[in-house]
Amino acid sequence: MHSLILFMVLGLSLVLVVATLVIWLSKDLLVAILASAIVSLIASIFFLVLQAPDVAITEAAIGAGLTTGILLYAMKIAGRYEDD
Amino acid sequence: MPYEIHGLMPFIYVGLIMLGVVFSLIRFLVGPTAPDRVVATDILTTITTVVLVVLALFFDRQIYLDVALVYAVLAFTAVVAIARFLEGGL
Amino acid sequence: MIRKIVAFIFAFYFGFILYSFIYTHFPFGERPLKGVAAHYVEKGVQEEGATNIVTSIVTLYRGFDTLGEVTVLFLAATGLGLLLAGWKEEEKEKPEPTLIMETTTKYLFPLVLLFGSYIFIHGHLTPGGGFPAGVVIATGYFMMFIAQKEFKPSEYLLSATESFAGTLYVITGLLGLALAFSFLANVAPLGVPNTVFSAGIIPIIYIIIGFKVGSEMTGILQHMKEV
Repeated sequence: MHSLILFMVLGLSLVLVVATLVIWLSKDLLVAILASAIVSLIASIFFLVLQAPDVAITEAAIGAGLTTGILLYAMKIAGRYEDD
Repeated sequence: MPYEIHGLMPFIYVGLIMLGVVFSLIRFLVGPTAPDRVVATDILTTITTVVLVVLALFFDRQIYLDVALVYAVLAFTAVVAIARFLEGGL
Repeated sequence: MIRKIVAFIFAFYFGFILYSFIYTHFPFGERPLKGVAAHYVEKGVQEEGATNIVTSIVTLYRGFDTLGEVTVLFLAATGLGLLLAGWKEEEKEKPEPTLIMETTTKYLFPLVLLFGSYIFIHGHLTPGGGFPAGVVIATGYFMMFIAQKEFKPSEYLLSATESFAGTLYVITGLLGLALAFSFLANVAPLGVPNTVFSAGIIPIIYIIIGFKVGSEMTGILQHMKEV
């Protein structure tokens, strides 16, 4: 069972790395906001695997809607596309 | 002591979950327009809820279900917000 | 370019450390505890009465840190209000929300508020507490902001709730100082562990923090909406 959970953590951390690379390289800020939502999801799973349900529930509550909302309001002011 | 789930079932759970994660990640990376990516993120949120429930089963702790409940109640807010942003009404 | 390479190397190194930590410590919670951690785990339930030991550490043993966090959040909300005070949105035509969204959010909003209250009332029994509960409540308000045509909570009421809750928190701490000679001491009766009415002042503090964080976050969202 433990090795199975470890396998799942390994796969999800690859997804985490891919989502972080998308945040870093994307010129479309909407895609970056979506990718940061994915990072928050996977971080919440990791906190639960690390036996920290209080941290996991805080991460879930913040990442599920509030961060996306505040970043969208900020993007409405700043513009959607990053210019070089 | 975690609750023992015998046989092949946990491997099937984790295999199917990882398959779903891989396909929705591909849609997120390829998806030509923004709505495709929004739908991929929404599916990943649902898969996350499933993963949290499965982890509560693996660790044999009922109180871990509260974390999954948060996603179940609040997950659609982000999608609605992005939809409103795309139609220009935020 | 060199900056990006350095950032990539740093991120890779950090990820490697995190992964090796997870790999070597994996069945968590099976190593022997020592020092103050052992005291929290062994004596925490007897001393403070909360089944969720993290809760008693956050609100009582390390209560000053929580007061600092609440102050930081208050300063952030005030600074954002100050920063956005002069900005005004030019009036433009917004598409109306559809009937489905409006009706769904109208009926879901009380349930989200109920769920937030559940999280902060049961903070000493289940995972959660004041901060996640406040954020859940603020997310409910955010849902109403984006999906209703006319929805505007009174700004006066939000500030009043926030200030009242902050004052009440400090008064609870000073009560401990007056009755038991230490700030935020657990002066209320402990009760039977694992029931709702237990753990002394922890539920009271979490109710206060839930109201404070919820009103602060709603205020931040409302300020950002109006810009």
